[in-house]
Amino acid sequence: MVAPLAGVAAYQATAKLGSSTAATGAAQGASSSFGDFLSSAMKDAIGTMKQGEQAAAQQAAGKGDMVGVVNAVNQAELTLDTVVAVRDKVIQAYQSIMQMPI
Amino acid sequence: MDLNASMVIAASGMRAQSSRMRIIAENIANANSTASTPDGDPYRRKVATVKSDFDRDLNATLVQSGKPIEDMSAFRSQYDPGNPAADKQGYVKLPNVNPLIEVMDMREAQRSYEADLNVMEATKSMLSRTVDLLKR
Repeated sequence: MVAPLAGVAAYQATAKLGSSTAATGAAQGASSSFGDFLSSAMKDAIGTMKQGEQAAAQQAAGKGDMVGVVNAVNQAELTLDTVVAVRDKVIQAYQSIMQMPI
Repeated sequence: MDLNASMVIAASGMRAQSSRMRIIAENIANANSTASTPDGDPYRRKVATVKSDFDRDLNATLVQSGKPIEDMSAFRSQYDPGNPAADKQGYVKLPNVNPLIEVMDMREAQRSYEADLNVMEATKSMLSRTVDLLKR
């Protein structure tokens, strides 16, 4: 059986990973929470989505190129996919902790 | 990230091939464009060029379409005395475009574009399958 403290350590490691990879400078180290990571990653995803939208609008207006649109939208989709997958995973972990019989 | 970079590199290749395709289209469309006067020159065939271009931000070598160069080979000439562009002997200068060569160039551009598309597809599936590991 896995020791309960090992689970807590894994959770903290995820939060730390988020704070170091997130683009916008959230406070590094132990002080940054998973919420900070999620919100900065979300901002990142929204930024790429906006870029994709801009490229699509330019293409519709006759400027810009098709390849740029496809690239920007692809990038946005992948970023959002990653953020959603990480969120789902951590929420799942949180729920299994909450449902633990004490 | 390397996979993101390879997407951008493949996109640059696709852009280069589309500008090459544009020049081939110009050549084919102008295959019969003559001058309007006897001393004028008809349409001169253009040759697309590509060059590599190092991107410092991406730390990768992209491809970029260069300035098209003109093909200096001799013009074709055809006997057509009624044409306003005909010289005293009745010959008209026609563009140095050979449709067969253009079609071969077009195929090559098409295949290169498809190769870049395949690179993009493979890269995207690598990325999304990695993310799928999280979803289970």
